[in-house]
Amino acid sequence: MAMYTQRSTLTQKVLGYGGLAVVLLIVLIPYGYIALTAFKPAEEIFDVRWLPRAWSLDAWRYAIEFEQFHVYIYNSMIAGLGAAVLALCVAVPGAYVFGRKQFRGKDVMFYIIVMALLFPFVLLVVPFTILWVKIGLYDTMPGLWLAYQVFIIPFAIWILRAYFAELPPFLEECAMVYGCTAFKAFWRVMLPLAKPIITSLMFLAFLVGWNDFLFSNMLTTGEGPRTASVIIYVSAVGGERVEWDVLMVMTLMAGIPPVLLYIVAQGQFLKTFAVRGH
Amino acid sequence: MARQEALHPAHTLDISSALPAAAASRPRTAGSERWLIWLFLLPTVLFLVLLLWLPFLQGVWMSFHKWPFIGEPQWIGLQNYRDLFGAAYFWTTMRVTLLYSLSTALQLALALGAALVLNQSFIRLKSVWRGVMLMPYAMPPVVVGAIWMYLLDPDLGMVTHYLLSWGIISKPIYWFSDPVWAKWIIMLVASWTFWPFMFIILLAALQAIPESYYELAEVYGANPWRRFRAVTLPHIRGAMLAAVIIRIAWNLAKIEQPFQLTGGGPGYETSVLSILTYRFAYLSGDFGMAFTVGLLLILVTFVLIAPFLRGFQKQIKQARRR
Amino acid sequence: MAENIGIRVHNLRKTFQRGRVQACRNVNLRLAEGALMVLLGPSGCGKTTTLRCIAGLEQPDNDDAIWVKGRNITRLQPKDRNLAFVFQDTALFPHLSIRRNISFGLDMHKTYRRAERRRRVNEVAELLHVEDLLERKPHEVSGGQAQRVALGRAIVMEPDAFLLDEPLANLDAALRVEMRTEIKRIQKRLGISTIFVTHDQEEALSLGDVIAVMKDGEVQQVGTSHEIYHHPANFFVATFIGSPPLNCLPCHVQTDNGALNLASRAFQLPLEAAGVASSLRNQGEVMLGIRPELVAIAPERPDTVAARVSLIEPLGSRTIIILEAEGVELRAMVQGETSAREGEAVHLRLDLERAFFFDNAGNRL
Repeated sequence: MAMYTQRSTLTQKVLGYGGLAVVLLIVLIPYGYIALTAFKPAEEIFDVRWLPRAWSLDAWRYAIEFEQFHVYIYNSMIAGLGAAVLALCVAVPGAYVFGRKQFRGKDVMFYIIVMALLFPFVLLVVPFTILWVKIGLYDTMPGLWLAYQVFIIPFAIWILRAYFAELPPFLEECAMVYGCTAFKAFWRVMLPLAKPIITSLMFLAFLVGWNDFLFSNMLTTGEGPRTASVIIYVSAVGGERVEWDVLMVMTLMAGIPPVLLYIVAQGQFLKTFAVRGH
Repeated sequence: MARQEALHPAHTLDISSALPAAAASRPRTAGSERWLIWLFLLPTVLFLVLLLWLPFLQGVWMSFHKWPFIGEPQWIGLQNYRDLFGAAYFWTTMRVTLLYSLSTALQLALALGAALVLNQSFIRLKSVWRGVMLMPYAMPPVVVGAIWMYLLDPDLGMVTHYLLSWGIISKPIYWFSDPVWAKWIIMLVASWTFWPFMFIILLAALQAIPESYYELAEVYGANPWRRFRAVTLPHIRGAMLAAVIIRIAWNLAKIEQPFQLTGGGPGYETSVLSILTYRFAYLSGDFGMAFTVGLLLILVTFVLIAPFLRGFQKQIKQARRR
Repeated sequence: MAENIGIRVHNLRKTFQRGRVQACRNVNLRLAEGALMVLLGPSGCGKTTTLRCIAGLEQPDNDDAIWVKGRNITRLQPKDRNLAFVFQDTALFPHLSIRRNISFGLDMHKTYRRAERRRRVNEVAELLHVEDLLERKPHEVSGGQAQRVALGRAIVMEPDAFLLDEPLANLDAALRVEMRTEIKRIQKRLGISTIFVTHDQEEALSLGDVIAVMKDGEVQQVGTSHEIYHHPANFFVATFIGSPPLNCLPCHVQTDNGALNLASRAFQLPLEAAGVASSLRNQGEVMLGIRPELVAIAPERPDTVAARVSLIEPLGSRTIIILEAEGVELRAMVQGETSAREGEAVHLRLDLERAFFFDNAGNRL
C-alpha cells in the first residue's frame, strides 16, 4: 500500500513538474525573446538570435526621446486611475444595494446588469463617437473614463454584490439601533468591511483603462489623450517599416506595469475571481 | 416563504423587511431606507441606461436605415438584413467567427491543465509561477499582439526562423495575409493571450475545494482519475461554465487583436463579426449595416453561450438545494 | 399607573408580502418598568417580529403599536428610540476593536465626551468580565465572550429597554446556562426593562419575571413561570411548556348511573372522586393533559391504570419512565431512581385533580 502511494506520487510529481514546465515555456519563450530584443542595437534586429552581440539602450532612448512614449504611458495611467475612481463611486453603492437590500424587481435588474457583461462593446463605438462629439467629450480624458464604465460597472456589480451579500447579516440593523441612519450604517460599517474587495476592484478597473485599445483609439485623436495601447498599435501597423526594437521597448513599458499590479495583488485577485456556485 | 420562516425566522424577516407593508400608511423608517436604495441604484442605472441601453436601442433603429456618416438617414426596412445574408462574404465571416470562438476550448484546456498542476501540494514557489502565467492576460492585448507580430514576422521573426531551420516549412509563410493560415493564427494568438483569465477562475475554484473530500475519496480507494471525476469536476463545474460563458462572449467581442494582426483580411478571411461591424462603420461609413452585423453578433453570441448558460443555471439550482 | 409601564405593545399588527403573511395579528403586551419579559414560542410564531417592531427594525401596520415609558415611538427611526438590541449572532462589527464595538452607540451619539465614553466602556467591560479583551478584534474572542461584548454594547447605552433576540442560541449548553444566570443578575442590578426572545422553554421559565407564550402571531398567555406551567391557558401552552412533555390522552366523559367517568382505550376512571367533575359534566370528547410528574406507579386499585414499562431513562436527579397502556404511550417522572424494570407490568395512579382538560378547540375546561 505504502509503495503504491509512493509510486503514484512520483508519477504525479513528474507529470506535475513536466506540465508546469510546458506551460511556463509557452509563456516565457515569447517574453524572453522580446525582452532581449529590446536591448539589441538596431542592426541586430535582422538576424534571429537570443542574446544581443552588443547590449544597447538605443531603442529605449529612441522610444522616450523621439517617440515621447512616456507621455502616452502617463496618459494610460490617468485613463486607468480615472476609470477606477469613477467605477468606485458608481458601482460600490449599487452593488451594496444589490447585495444587502431588498426591493421589487431586484433579481431582474441584477440579471440585466450582469448580462451587459456579455455585450459586444464594439457596437457602442459608433454611437459613442457621435454622442461624444456632440457633447464635447470627444478627444478628452473624461470621455474615456465614461466609456470604460460600460464595461467596468457590470463586472464590478457582479463581483462586489457577492462580497457584500456574504458579510455577516444584521450589521447595518445593529448600527441603526445604535444610532446610525441607513446611510451612516453603510458608510461607517459596510464600506470599511468591503475595503479589500474594493481595492481589488480598483486594480481591475485601472487595468481596464490601461489595457483598453478600442475606445481609446476611436474616441481620441493625435491631439488628444492618446494612450500607450494606441501608439503601440499605430507603430506596429501604421508605418511602412516597423522599428521592432523600439516597438519591443514600448511593449515592455506598457506591459510590465499591469503585470506588476497583478503580482502585487494576486492573492486578492484569486479571491475576487472565486466564482461561487450560488 | 412560510416554510423558510419555520427554519430561519430572523433571516426571512430580513428579506421581508423592505417589502412594502400594507400600503395604507407609509412607514418612516422603511421610507428612508427606500430612499437610500434608489439613491444608491441611481448612478449604476443611469450609467447603464445612458451608456449602454439607449445607444444600443438607437443602434437597432439605425439597422433599419441607410445611415451614412454624413447625410440624411433613410428608412430602408429590412434591406440591410437582406443584403447581409445575401452577401458572399457573410458566410466567410460566419465560418471564421465560429472558428475563432473555438479559441475558448483551447483556452479552457490550457487553463485547466495549468490550474490542476498549480493546485498540486508538492509544487513549490506557486505564487511565482502563478504570476508568470498571468502575464499574457495582464498586459494590454495590443501589446501581446505586437509581440506576436514580431515573433511571426516572415522575414525577421523567431518562429519562421526556427520552422525553416528545422525543415518544417520550406519557405517563409506570410502568416497574417495567408488565406489559410491567417484565421488560425488569430485564433491561436487569442488563446495565448486570454487563457489566464480562465486559469485564475479555475484555480480559485480548485483551491476552494475542502481537503476532506479528497481524503474521503482516498479512503474509498479512488485513483487520481476517479478523484478528478468524483470530487474535482463537480466542484469546479460552476466556475468552469461561468468562465466559458464570459470567455465566449468576450472573445467574440474583443476586436483589438484580429484588427491589429490582419485587419480582417486577406479578403474577409479573418473578418470575425466584430471586425465586420468595424469595417462597415469606419471603412464604409455605413452605420446601418454596421449595426445590422452587430445585432447578428449578439445573436450568435447568445446562441453559442445558451447551452452553457443553461448548464450554469442548473448548477446554481443544485447548489441552492445543497 | 401609566408611568410604571416600561414597554407597552398595543394591538400590534404586522403583515408581510402585502398582507399575505401575517406575522403578528393583534399582539398586546404590558411590561412593568424594570421587569424582564420573555417572549416564548416556536419558530415562526412572530416573537422575533414583535421584538423587531419594538426596535423599529420592522414597521407595524398600525400607528399606535409601540409605547415605551408612555411615549408612542411606533414611527420613530431605530436610532431615535433609545433602545438597545442584542442579536442572535452578536453582529459585532468585525473591523472594530472590542472597545470600539462597545462604545459604538456612544460614538454615534456624540453627546458624550471622550473621557466619559472611556469611563463607561471600562465600567461595562468590568461588569461583563471582558476588560482584558478591549483591544482585540471580534474574531479573536470566543463565542461566549463575543456575546458578552454584544451585551456590553447594549448596556453602555443606558437605554430605556433591552431587546434581546435569542442571544444565547449560538452558545454551547453549559455556557448558555451560565450566561443565562448572568443576564438575569445584571438585569436585576440595572433595573432596565428587558424583553428576551427565545424558543427554549427552560431559558424562558428560569429568566422571565413574566413570560408571554406566542403562537401564529398571537399571544397565547402571559404569566409567571408558575402560572404558565401549572395553569396553562390552553392546550398549546400546556404542551409547549414542560420537559418531558405533557401526556396527552384523548378521552370521553361518560355518565354511569349518575356517576361521571373518564374513559379511554386504556382506562376508565371515576371523576367525582377526583373533584374535577363540575367543569366536565356536559362534555363529550375531551383531551386529558397530565404532567409526567403527576403519573405515578402505585399498587393496584379501582382508579389505577394497568400499563407496561417500555423504557427507563435515568437522569440522575430524576428518572423518566416510558410506559405503554393499550397502545397509548405515557411518560412518568419520579424523583431519584425507580425500582421499576423495563418490561414489567405496573399500575399507574393519575393525579386527575391537578391534570388539565381541553375541549376540541384546545380551550382549557
